[in-house]
Amino acid sequence: MKPVYISSAAALSPQHSFDNEELLPDIVSTDTGKLYVIDTDYSKFINPVAIRRMSRILKIGISTGMRAVQLSNHPINGIITGTGRGSMRDMELFLGDMIKLNEEALNPTYFIQSTYNSVNGWLAMQTKCTGYNQTYVHRGHSLEMALLDAQMLLNETEEPQTYLVGGLDEMTEDYFLVKSKKGYWKKDIPNSLQLLKHNDTPGSIGGEGAAFFTLTNQAENAMCKLAAINIIQNPTEDIIKAAIDKTLADNNINIKDVDVVLCGLSGDNRFDHLYKSVFDNMTAHTTIAAFKHLVGEYDTSTGFAMWLATELFKHQQIPEVIIQKKGIHPDIKNILIVNHYILNSASIILLQL
Amino acid sequence: MEDLKLTLKQQIIESLNLQGMTPADIDDNAPLFGEGLGLDSIDSLELMVLLERNYGIKIEDAREGRKVLQSVQSMAEYIQENRKI
Repeated sequence: MKPVYISSAAALSPQHSFDNEELLPDIVSTDTGKLYVIDTDYSKFINPVAIRRMSRILKIGISTGMRAVQLSNHPINGIITGTGRGSMRDMELFLGDMIKLNEEALNPTYFIQSTYNSVNGWLAMQTKCTGYNQTYVHRGHSLEMALLDAQMLLNETEEPQTYLVGGLDEMTEDYFLVKSKKGYWKKDIPNSLQLLKHNDTPGSIGGEGAAFFTLTNQAENAMCKLAAINIIQNPTEDIIKAAIDKTLADNNINIKDVDVVLCGLSGDNRFDHLYKSVFDNMTAHTTIAAFKHLVGEYDTSTGFAMWLATELFKHQQIPEVIIQKKGIHPDIKNILIVNHYILNSASIILLQL
Repeated sequence: MEDLKLTLKQQIIESLNLQGMTPADIDDNAPLFGEGLGLDSIDSLELMVLLERNYGIKIEDAREGRKVLQSVQSMAEYIQENRKI
């Protein structure tokens, strides 16, 4: 497939990622096992009449999407999002009321806004974009599917086109509780910044966030190139290694050309071995970095990694807090994102300056 | 009647999440939709739910609903005559 270009990026996350000139200032950590998005002034991005009935994830998603649109030089032709969980809080309130009120006199707002495509709908109304509008709900592959869809749409046309693409997920108390019973979270909770050192036990820490990008087939003024997206089902160390090799070969670059690898290491001893091939095969040239100790584990965490990659290109430096193994590359031109989500999904994304 | 209108205004503010508003900001006779409070169609559904949950009133005729939901005054009068809770 032909590459596409990222013309703008925005992320709301548990770190100070939104509208900051500085790269990851004042790192946030927690001992609670839960990393929540740092709120911004949502009223700057959302219709004041509509905002009063919106849940937090709607405000987070819409504001992040609108910011990415503002930062882009291109009008958008369509909106594509990915979410593993959608609007969890609205869904919990709606289901809770169904039980409490015996399925009578239920609030319509919770129902309307609990649907997975609420953020897409609001973004379409606010941007007046009546084009293609799609939401992917594929657990840990949700954002990757949205990116792939945008890449295919942009590959199909010779016309200059731009799509707003993003991922969003929220963490609620109920979600955290339910998933703790499934072994998603560490029982002995370390400080989040120490998460990756506690990789001898199962579980990670919970997280959430939203990241949006404008993807275009126009190279001018782009932040970087999205060269490849590979989605992997039931990953193993060997499959990850083969997929990395193929991704690099398909794009005519060598393993020694990779300046930074952003790994989805989560401190979970059931999954962190997937990254062994990254550590084993990358040369002294490459910096290996991680990000889940900053944002926690969630279905669309690849979005934060992609936003972080655009920032690394922009600043041409790597914050110490994410470095796992320092490389000797003189600059940052090729970034590989290798990420996984609990259970059975992984992805490999190549971004190039 | 005055107590009922005050309670109703508090319930409307809470139910519709009218941030920064107090009962004193809502005129008894001002239209709830359009020029007055500027509510919309989803709000009208929320107000129907409010009436059902708090006063046991179910309005099934849309034309009747439109009349009832004109203002706080019209809602309070309807509640006083038809409440079951």
